[in-house]
Amino acid sequence: MLSQVSDFLGQTVFTVYIQQIIVMTGINLIAVLGLSILTGFTGLFSFGHGGFMAIGAYVAAIFVARLRLPFALAILAGALGAALVSLLIGRLTLKLKGDYFCIATMGFGEAVRIILNNVNYVGGARGWESLPLLTNIWLVLGLDVVFVVLTWNLINSRHGRNLVAVREEELASQMAGIDVFRYKMIALVASAALAGVAGALLANYLQFLRPTMFNMGKSTDLTIMVIFGGLGSISGTIAGTILLTGLPEFFRNFAQWRLVVYGLAVIVIMVGRPQGVMGGFELTPSGVRKSLASRKARLALEAEVRAAEREGKA
Amino acid sequence: MSAILEVKGLTKRFGGLAAVNQVSFRVAEGSISGLIGPNGAGKTTIFNLVTGVYKVTEGTIEFRGESIQDLEPYKVADKGITRTFQNIRLFKSLSARDNVLIACHMSAKYGLFESIFRLPRYWKEEKVLRDKAESLLEIMGLQDRMDVTANNLPYGLQRRLEITRALALDPKLLLLDEPAAGMNPDETVQLMRLIGEVRDQFKLSVLVIEHHMDLIMGVCEHIHVLNFGCTLADGSPEDIANDPKVVEAYLGAENDR
Amino acid sequence: MNQFLQQLVNGLSIGSIYALMAVGYSLVYSIMNFSNFAHGSVIMLGAYLGFFLLTLVGLPFGLAFFLAACGTALIAVILERLAYKPLRDRNAPFLYFIITAMGASIFIDNSVIATIGPTPKTFPTQLLPSFLQSGSIKLGALDIGRIDLAMFIITAVCLVALVLFIDFTKLGKAIQATAYNMKASALMGINPSFVVILVFAIGGFLAGIAGVLYGMKYQVFPQMSGITLKSFIAAVFGGLGSLPGAMLGSLLLALIETFVSGYVSTQMRDIFAFCILIAMLVIRPSGIMGKTSEDKA
Repeated sequence: MLSQVSDFLGQTVFTVYIQQIIVMTGINLIAVLGLSILTGFTGLFSFGHGGFMAIGAYVAAIFVARLRLPFALAILAGALGAALVSLLIGRLTLKLKGDYFCIATMGFGEAVRIILNNVNYVGGARGWESLPLLTNIWLVLGLDVVFVVLTWNLINSRHGRNLVAVREEELASQMAGIDVFRYKMIALVASAALAGVAGALLANYLQFLRPTMFNMGKSTDLTIMVIFGGLGSISGTIAGTILLTGLPEFFRNFAQWRLVVYGLAVIVIMVGRPQGVMGGFELTPSGVRKSLASRKARLALEAEVRAAEREGKA
Repeated sequence: MSAILEVKGLTKRFGGLAAVNQVSFRVAEGSISGLIGPNGAGKTTIFNLVTGVYKVTEGTIEFRGESIQDLEPYKVADKGITRTFQNIRLFKSLSARDNVLIACHMSAKYGLFESIFRLPRYWKEEKVLRDKAESLLEIMGLQDRMDVTANNLPYGLQRRLEITRALALDPKLLLLDEPAAGMNPDETVQLMRLIGEVRDQFKLSVLVIEHHMDLIMGVCEHIHVLNFGCTLADGSPEDIANDPKVVEAYLGAENDR
Repeated sequence: MNQFLQQLVNGLSIGSIYALMAVGYSLVYSIMNFSNFAHGSVIMLGAYLGFFLLTLVGLPFGLAFFLAACGTALIAVILERLAYKPLRDRNAPFLYFIITAMGASIFIDNSVIATIGPTPKTFPTQLLPSFLQSGSIKLGALDIGRIDLAMFIITAVCLVALVLFIDFTKLGKAIQATAYNMKASALMGINPSFVVILVFAIGGFLAGIAGVLYGMKYQVFPQMSGITLKSFIAAVFGGLGSLPGAMLGSLLLALIETFVSGYVSTQMRDIFAFCILIAMLVIRPSGIMGKTSEDKA
C-alpha cells in the first residue's frame, strides 16, 4: 500500500529529483538536530561533527556490506560507535575552556579523515563503492519525526532547561546545582549519536563513501544550518535545514558563490540577529503563547515605568 | 547557638599573592551575618572558596558539621548553600519564570529516559516544578513579572529575581554578594526588610557581603571584617562600630567624607 | 647520523612556519581571551597577496613580501572591527565569536576559490631573489635548502623582534598590561581599543609573513587555512596564550612530526600531531609553558 502511494506520488508531484532533495534534507536534519542540541541549546561549538558522521557511516557500511547484518542493527552500531568516541573526547576536553574543545574537535575531524584514508578494508582514500541502497524516503522521514519529537521532549524538560542554563551562564548554573560537565557530555554524546545515524543513512543512500565527504567543510555546513535557523529553536533548525539543503539546488550555477554568501551571512547574522530565522522562538502553540506572553509582560512593565515617571514629575 | 558554617584558617593563594590569609569565622544557624571590608579585601574570594569555585590552598570549611572544601560547586549547592553574584548572573535572555524554573530542577527526579519518552513520572514531577516556581515568584512579589525577559527587568527586580532563584534550591545558607549595589536608600530599606523576611519565612541563615553600612548595621546580627585578606575584627555591630582598627581602616574613610 | 641531522633541519624549517602562525594566534588569544579561528584564512590571503604583488604587479621581492604582510595586518584589523568588535561591545557569549570566526573563514576562503580559482599557484623561481633561486647550500654533509634557511632566519628575526617589542617597549608593556587585566589598564590610561587594533595588526603581519613563506616553500592554494590546525595544536602544546610557549610548541611539534614522517611513515605524521594534542590535554592542559588560571566569579 505504502509503495503504491509513493509510486503515485512519484509520478506526479514528487519526481525522483524532488525525492532526492527530501531524502538529503531528511538525513541532514538528523545530524543538524544533534548539532542544535550541542551548539544551539548548550552553546558548545564543534568543528568535527563530520568525523562523527563518518564513524556512523563507515561502521554501518561495515555491518551491512562486510558483516551482512540487518540495516537497523547497522544504524544502531553507527550511532553507538560515534557516541562512544564522543565520550572519550568529552572526558578529555569538556572540563577545560571552550577553545580546547574547539581545537580538539577540529583535530578529531581531521584525524578520522586521515585514518579512514589509510584503511583499505573500508576503501581508503579512493572510497568504497557499491554499497547497498537501504535508505528510502519513508525511513528517513519516519526517523525525522521520531527524532524531532524526542529532541523536543528533551529540550522541554528539566534536562533541556539545564542545557540552556549551561549555555547562558555556566557559573550561575553551578550555583543552581547543575552538574555542568555532565550536561555538556549529554549534549555531546546525543549530538554524536545523531550524527552517526545520519552518517549510516547517508552511506546506504549514496551507496558510496569517501573520507573527503566528511571533512571540515561538512561540519561547518551542518553548523551553518543551525545558525541560519537560529540558535535555541527546534523549528528554526528544521527551517534552516530545509532552506540550506534545498537552496543550493537553485544556486547550482553559482555553486562557488554559495559558500561565499553563507560565510558572509553567518557574520551578518551573528552581528545583527543571532536569533536567526526563527528569532529564538518555536513555531508551536506553546512557543507562540510564550512569545506573546513575554511581549505582553514587557509592554505592561514599560507602561508602568512610564506611569511612575509621570507621577514623579507631577 | 550552633554554627551552620565554620571556616578555619582559610587561605587562598594566587601565585605569590594571598588573597585570603588564615581567615576564621562562624555563621550561627538562623542568623544574618555580614562580611565587610574594603574592595579587594577578599570577600568574594571567600564566597568562591565556600561555594567551590576556587580550590582552597589551606584551611577547612565545614557546613552543618560536614567538610565541604573540595566539593564541586554544583555539589555545594546541592548540600544547601546557594548564592547571588556581584555582577548579576541571571539567565538574561530567559524569562523570570524560566530563571526560577531552571533552579527548581532538583525538586524533580525524573531522568533523561523519562523525559525523552514522556513517561508518567515526567508529567507528575514537571507539574510540581512549575507550581513551585510560580509560588516562589509569588512569595517574592514577582508574580506580575513572570513572563518578562530577565534582561528587561528593572535593576532592583533583577536583584530580587536572583535571590528568588537562589531560594529555589531550598538552601540552608544563602550567600548574598553585594545585593544592594546600585540601589538608592529606599530600595536598600526594602531589601533589608526582604532579607529579614526571607530568613524568617524560609528558615535559613544568611551571609551578606556589603558596602552599604546602613544595610549591614541594620540587618546583621554578627559582622566579620576583612582587610587585605586577613581578619581585622569580628563581633556584633556595636563592637565593630566602636573598634578603632575598623574605624581607621574602613569606617574612618567613610566618616572623613 | 646524516639523515638525523637532515631531518632536524627539515623539522626546524617547518617549525619556524608553525611558530609564526602559532605566535600570531597566541598573541590575539592572550589579549582577547578568544581563539581567532579565521587566522588561517588571513595567512592564506598573505600568500596570495605576496604572489600577486610579485607576479602581477611586478614588485621586487622584498617589497612584495613586506607589502603582503602589511596587507594582512590591515585585513586582520578590518576583520576585528567589522566582525569581532560589535560582538565584544555587546558582551556576546564566547560561542558567537567562534561562529563569526568560522563565517569569516568560510567567506574569505570561498571568495578566493570563486574569484581566483582553486588551482594552486607556485612562486616562480625566477622572480625570487638570486640567493634563493638555486636549490640548497651544502654545510658539511648536510643539504640545507636555501628557502628553508631563509625561512628559519626570517622567522627567528621576526620572533626576536616581537619579543623585544613586547618586553622592552612602552607599547609592548601596554599590551602585556592589557593582557593581564583589560579594565585595570584602561583605568591607567591605556586605550584598550588601540591595544586590540595593535595586537590584531601584529598578528596579521606575522600571518602574512607565514603565508608568503609557506607559499614559497610549497604552493599557494585556497585551502591553506587547514594548516593552521597544526599551529593551534602547537599553541596548545606550548601553552595557550604564552608566546614563548607557542614558539617552543611549534618547533617541538614540527620536529616530532618530521621524525615520525621520516622514520615511521608520512601518513602517521598528522595522526601523531593529534595524539600529541590528546596527550597534552590529558597530562597538562595548560601546555608546556602555560599557567593554570581560575576564573573570577
